[in-house]
Amino acid sequence: MNVIEVKNLSKTFKVKIKEKGLKGSLKSIFKQKYKTIDAVKDISFEVEKGEIIAFIGPNGAGKSTTIKMLTGILYADEGSIEVLKINPTKERKRLAYEIGTVFGQKEQLWMHLTPYDNFKFFSAIYDIPEQVAEKRIEKLKILFELNDFIDTPVRNLSLGQRIRCEIVASLIHEPKVLFLDEPTIGLDPVVKENIRTLIKRMNKELKTTIFLTSHDVGDIEKLCKRVIIINHGRIVLDDSMENLKYHYLNKKIIEVKMKEKVNLDDEEGITILKDKGYNLKIEVDTQYKNVADVIKLLDPDKIIDINISNIPLENIISAIYKNEDK
Amino acid sequence: MLMVVKNQIRCTLLALKYGIMKEMLNRTSFISNVLFMILNNASMLIQWLVLYSLKDNIGGYSFKEVMLLWGLAASTYGVSRAFFASAFKLSDTINKGKLDAFLVQPKSVLLNAITTHVSSSAFGDIIFGFAMVFFYGFSLRVFLLFFLFTVTGGLILVSIAIILGSLAFFLENSEIISDNGNNLMVHFATYPDGIFKGVTKILLFTLVPVGLANYLPIQAIIEFNITKIVFVLLVTSFIVFLANLVFKIGLKKYASTNLMSARV
Repeated sequence: MNVIEVKNLSKTFKVKIKEKGLKGSLKSIFKQKYKTIDAVKDISFEVEKGEIIAFIGPNGAGKSTTIKMLTGILYADEGSIEVLKINPTKERKRLAYEIGTVFGQKEQLWMHLTPYDNFKFFSAIYDIPEQVAEKRIEKLKILFELNDFIDTPVRNLSLGQRIRCEIVASLIHEPKVLFLDEPTIGLDPVVKENIRTLIKRMNKELKTTIFLTSHDVGDIEKLCKRVIIINHGRIVLDDSMENLKYHYLNKKIIEVKMKEKVNLDDEEGITILKDKGYNLKIEVDTQYKNVADVIKLLDPDKIIDINISNIPLENIISAIYKNEDK
Repeated sequence: MLMVVKNQIRCTLLALKYGIMKEMLNRTSFISNVLFMILNNASMLIQWLVLYSLKDNIGGYSFKEVMLLWGLAASTYGVSRAFFASAFKLSDTINKGKLDAFLVQPKSVLLNAITTHVSSSAFGDIIFGFAMVFFYGFSLRVFLLFFLFTVTGGLILVSIAIILGSLAFFLENSEIISDNGNNLMVHFATYPDGIFKGVTKILLFTLVPVGLANYLPIQAIIEFNITKIVFVLLVTSFIVFLANLVFKIGLKKYASTNLMSARV
């Protein structure tokens, strides 16, 4: 069952342009020039119930604009959106009861209040009766391990603790779909890992569909089974993480420690990434050469140690972004 | 429908409660803000006292009537800033994309956006305003009418702030227009309307509706004129409706931003 259905969605912004310097400023008083930016161009996709989907792209690709249209913050210029069969533009309030949002760059919590008071406020926003709210706060407090700081004013919390509270605040009304816009921005690796575990647990225990945007490949790799890549406002890839990792670029990284030097220059399908005499790091394009052939080329008798790994996801995504830019 | 209104009121009152709690975090600052505002308003008494020692009647107002006008100006200003302080920062809220947080909530975006901040000094204005009722001569009728017009005047000030703030949906750098418009509403409110003539007077009952927030209500209190009371109520309802409409139309043009922001 699809919980999100987007068809031919487009959104443009009119942006003022000004010539350089004071002269430009003076000119703009008398004649203002504008240019139209196509933030989102004719995109279509669906998200199934219970999925954790990564919606990624470089800065300015149209991720946040899309999320804002899906949540009813922005109006679409063209196309149709249905989230849980609700049109966000026409029934914003009804949709708000069913979805949760966390914007990593924008805090929704009252800084001078404790997380507990904030959760009570959000309960009132979503018309949750007192007793039900108490039970939910208790449950989420355990799930997100908030016990040590639930009564500390938000302004005194660390960034990681605050993001956990932001997520809890967005879950207080038990949304069916959760939109996470860069939830781990600015967090240290340990806290990031913690947040990812919690998101995964929440998806498993509460069956929440999660729509995630992030620049952190770790978020995508560890949480999502499907990825949509958007660039210049268009969807450039919509595939499973498996396919993206193993089939999209067909590249492997081989690190070897040799008994003697080998020369792999001019070999088709092989790129030397590092050459420190007996230690070699190469990238193999399996469309031209398979891994077994490379090992034969190296001579197995002369190999002391070998490590074969997939190309990092980050490189794959960067390559997709760069290809699109070309 | 009734339930929706009830829940919205519950949320708004909770937001105001939390806003007041924030202001009270520093007790000394809260109390001194209130007291200094009362003193600040009271200092203007001296100016009027000097003027009335030279003349008995200024613009058709006696000294006590001017004090009542000054009191109503203070209390309407107080109500608007005490409970709806963020209405006067609406253009900033729009420009910095801070409406996002309210748009994803199942409540009135406008009401939530204008009730996030409370101004402690504005409570001093309200106290001063009601003190002027006693200075004028307390009667239950005067007190109740003053209370009613404090609410209508406050609503008019907030509505004008919303209309001016909503210009940010359509214009760049509209903060200056908004600030100037709101300041005009305050500056003209403390002078007797009799001193204004011609175009200025027309403007004060139309574009800068100080007359509807302060002058007409004061006349209604002094004369106990039912027609004027009903007229003020109708006009207030219209201005509130207009503010809602302008905001609603503007909201369709809301562009949001990706600026980092916190709810402080």
